[in-house]
Amino acid sequence: MIKISGLSKSFGNLAVLNGLELFVKKGEAFSILGKSGTGKSVTLKCIAGLLIPDAGEIIVDSITVDAANIRDLRTIRRKIGFLFQGGALYDSMTIIENLIFNLSHHLKIPRAMAADKSENYLTLVGLKESMNKLPSELSGGMKKRAALARALVIEPQILLCDEPTTGLDPITSGEISELIRRLHDQFQVTAIVVTHDILCAGIVSDRAGVLEDGILKYTGSINELAGIDDEKVAGFFKSPL
Amino acid sequence: MKRFFTHLYELASFSFRFVKEALVPPYEFGELVSHLEDFGSRSLPLVSAIGLLMGLILALQTKPTLARFGAESFLPAMVAISVVRELGPVITALIVAGRVSSGIGAEIASMRVTEQIDALEVSTVDPYHFLVVPRVIAAVIVLPLLTAYADFLAIIGAFIVMFVTGDMGWQLFITSTLNSLSISDIVPGIAKTFFFGYIIAIVGSYFGFRTEGGTEGVGKAATSSVVFASFIILIADLVLVRVGIILFG
Ligand SMILES: Nc1ncnc2c1ncn2[C@@H]1O[C@H](COP(=O)(O)OP(=O)(O)OP(=O)(O)O)[C@@H](O)[C@H]1O
Ligand SMILES: [Mg+2]
Repeated sequence: MIKISGLSKSFGNLAVLNGLELFVKKGEAFSILGKSGTGKSVTLKCIAGLLIPDAGEIIVDSITVDAANIRDLRTIRRKIGFLFQGGALYDSMTIIENLIFNLSHHLKIPRAMAADKSENYLTLVGLKESMNKLPSELSGGMKKRAALARALVIEPQILLCDEPTTGLDPITSGEISELIRRLHDQFQVTAIVVTHDILCAGIVSDRAGVLEDGILKYTGSINELAGIDDEKVAGFFKSPL
Repeated sequence: MKRFFTHLYELASFSFRFVKEALVPPYEFGELVSHLEDFGSRSLPLVSAIGLLMGLILALQTKPTLARFGAESFLPAMVAISVVRELGPVITALIVAGRVSSGIGAEIASMRVTEQIDALEVSTVDPYHFLVVPRVIAAVIVLPLLTAYADFLAIIGAFIVMFVTGDMGWQLFITSTLNSLSISDIVPGIAKTFFFGYIIAIVGSYFGFRTEGGTEGVGKAATSSVVFASFIILIADLVLVRVGIILFG
């Protein structure tokens, strides 16, 4: 369960979030749509306790993130799989080491088991052949998939995905979206997915919202959003084809 | 100027954290070993060259002066003492600061701007503990070794000068070098380098961690690391020279 109320965050005199409200039930998947620079990544980072909000409250599974001590914060983070917008793969480690590192630190799983599991997840995102490469040797889309595998391998109860399909071709985008949906259904993951890709949002999420002026302006099912008569919302639904 | 003192203040609290963090497990031995290798191999070529040059220059420079007083036989002692007590530790530290501080600064800064540090935090890994502690320990181990090695090469350099000019045989050179050096030269000389190693790694880590912005932030972190580390090394040396004199005469 993720409950955000009155979340505000500014950098200097740039107010990014301005009283944002969001409630995502346990096991629900929610997409955040929004133009570039509206604060989508900032929102995700606040949820994971990486940025400290100026005001407001964020509750993740009964723990208040913004007021949590280190131990509580760790408890929450053990449940979180985070896909960073730029991937954030550890560039000194190979792809599979990236996954193993996360498993053994996040969940304290023994190495041999971690290695098997990591390989499975890399196979799932189609990177089995490249698992011993360094991140610098991968293409943009491969990095994204590797980073997704790293977020998923810990089998998180909460999944925070920052643009999982950006930079991928339409076919891979579809596959990745389906993969997230499948894992979501299988493990009842609570997910928040930031995306510009309306197809992805449609596949992955039950509900979506449009972030604008520091708040979630419209929320509802994808179909409901498609019917809203506001050009800024409608813009996301204009298919390029 | 105000920025400078803010840095010093924040740097102090950043570096005290090391003492707390170094003692708590998990101990990252794998990281430590890879940093040892990295720092050593990164500095070795330059330290070798500079060590040898230091001895050559020092000998060439002082030889005529000593000759004027008929005191050329003191040359090995003079070189050995000034290298071991002062020049070796400081010059090695400044060179290693240039290689290693900037390297650490750039490395951690790029992890910061590409969100790798955030990723560590989400994986419940304390970035300070994982990134800073092993680097500081590695630098504290490597610098004394590099300094001893540079000292040795400098003495070889001085010997080359004496040998080429035919002023002294090797037996005499070795005995007068060894006779001139006492524990009270070697201990303060090497003891300093532990502090210098600490400064080198902590300053680089500090600037890496506080980096903001994109790739230009990475470059800035690297340069600030070298400038600050060199400066603080010299200030620390000033203090440590005093302490050394009080303790060892
Ligand atoms: N650490 C930071 N320091 C200063 N400003 C920041 C920081 N992080 C984000 N911002 C600013 O906050 C605003 C929102 O950033 P954010 O990364 O959340 O955008 P976004 O909605 O994710 O955009 P995009 O779709 O392009 O990724 C931007 O104007 C950005 O410049
Ligand atoms: Mg973003």
